Amino acid sequence: MFTDEALDSVSIQSQWRKSQQSAQESRGCQTKAVHRAEAEIQTVSTTITGTQTEPRHQATEQLLQQNHNELESPGLKDFLQRVEDRVIRELVRNAKSHAFDGFQVNWEDHSSLVSCLHRLQHPSAVERGLHVTSVSWSCTGAVIACCGSYFTERSYVCTWNLDRRGLNPKQADLVFDTPTAVTALSCHPNQPALIAVGLYSGEVLVWDTSRTQDPILVQSGMSADSHREPVYQVAWVPLQKKGEFGVLSASSGGRVLLWTLDSDQGRLVLIDAYALVRQQVPHSSCTGSSTVGVTSLALSPWDSDTFLVAPTEGHSVTLRAPAVFSFRPRSGPVHSVHCSPFHRNLFVSAGTDGLAHIHSLLQANPLLSLRVSDSYVFQVQWSPTRPLVFAAATGQGEVQIFDLGRRSLRPAAIIEPGGVGQAATCLAFNCQNHNLLAVGKTDGTVGVWQLSGDLMEQKPRESSQLEQIANQAVG
Amino acid sequence: MAEVEETLKRIQGQKGVQGIIIVNSEGIPIKTTLDYPSTVQYAGLIQQLVMMARSTVREIDPQNDLTFLRVRSKKNEIMIAPDKDYFLIVIQNPSD
Repeated sequence: MFTDEALDSVSIQSQWRKSQQSAQESRGCQTKAVHRAEAEIQTVSTTITGTQTEPRHQATEQLLQQNHNELESPGLKDFLQRVEDRVIRELVRNAKSHAFDGFQVNWEDHSSLVSCLHRLQHPSAVERGLHVTSVSWSCTGAVIACCGSYFTERSYVCTWNLDRRGLNPKQADLVFDTPTAVTALSCHPNQPALIAVGLYSGEVLVWDTSRTQDPILVQSGMSADSHREPVYQVAWVPLQKKGEFGVLSASSGGRVLLWTLDSDQGRLVLIDAYALVRQQVPHSSCTGSSTVGVTSLALSPWDSDTFLVAPTEGHSVTLRAPAVFSFRPRSGPVHSVHCSPFHRNLFVSAGTDGLAHIHSLLQANPLLSLRVSDSYVFQVQWSPTRPLVFAAATGQGEVQIFDLGRRSLRPAAIIEPGGVGQAATCLAFNCQNHNLLAVGKTDGTVGVWQLSGDLMEQKPRESSQLEQIANQAVG
Repeated sequence: MAEVEETLKRIQGQKGVQGIIIVNSEGIPIKTTLDYPSTVQYAGLIQQLVMMARSTVREIDPQNDLTFLRVRSKKNEIMIAPDKDYFLIVIQNPSD
């Protein structure tokens, strides 16, 4: 019935903290021993210095300066006292005097007529009926270069040295053949051997005429940036670095590009480009492509950043990179612009309407308009010696020379190179020998004319007359 | 010093005066209102002219001497007041 049973004991752990704590674990750690070292130094010797500015004695300095000057120029004060009255009296009397009014002296025996000195032509060019598209005098004034072309055919660039004894008008001194037509030409302003040419294909080359083997010094090559259209004008531009010149070329594609010469590589390097887009040319009447062709370029001799551009639309635009100011449109494209070498703000332009307009850079409307001919005017250029004279080459074959100082608006002189029906396409004044004017015609001849004395010599008040004309600009 | 400047200012203020140069007896410009290259050019050339003019006058009559020299050109007039130690050169454009 009943048996003894032994049961396992049951234990309950104590909840008291103390008993729990005794079950805790403890750990410890210790860093390794830190190494330390100590050292001491001591300066052996010491010095102390100090500086202080001293106030300058201003008064004494100035006195010394003054004494020095007086020592240098003793008696200057007395001298001036002695002469002052006399000089002022003479100055006043001179300003009021009419003694020399209209008094002119003839130092040189100038001819009173305009005469033709030479009629230069290249026979094979004449045979093929090439037009002379551009003439340019070299910087020395002795050599004239001209290019003849007829649209896209092969053309020539010829140079004649007018100072040579055996000048043969029918044979050029140097002839360069080019595969495509040369449309623009410009001689370097300092180096007589360099000529920049622009081709119908859009290339720009610089030739070194002193090299007999291969005259091409540098060329632009055809690239995406260069011109694709015929280059109508090239000009040498002074660059930032003194003495260096770059080439500015304008094409009918509306681009004006500035190149520098890299003669080692034989290339022209493009450094700047301006494009004339339709938006910049207001009041344009023609619709069509978005770019506007450029027919003529004129550099301002006063401001190397400014140049004038004549687009095919019939305005003239100044480009002062990159701002643009445009001048009043007239009917027909403008063929030629030229900045006055005597006045900052004046330029003359002419185009197919037969008028020559004198503009000021300050206003859009022309100051003066002169009727040159009934047909096109291909080129106008200011005279390098007389501020009021300019010459215009007309489609009727004459070159008319206007003198703004005269009262009448008729030309002062007319040069008729002969050959009816042959237009005079280009002209250039010689900057060294002031009485020479070269005229190129569509019959392939270049005439060198000697101007009469009164067209060359500056009259006493010309600059102020030009100033008056320029000041007529409103605003 | 101030008086020298005053005098020069008075002369400069006359009608049409374009420039004033004072040259000493050795031909060195000591005061000028023009730019340096023009000054040097005028000083050198005019000194020779004054010497020649003076010797011309004295050769004709040894008792006589040069008092003033005026050179009139198309564009302006140069007036020279000579002295023992200095010259005063004034360039005037009378039609201005």
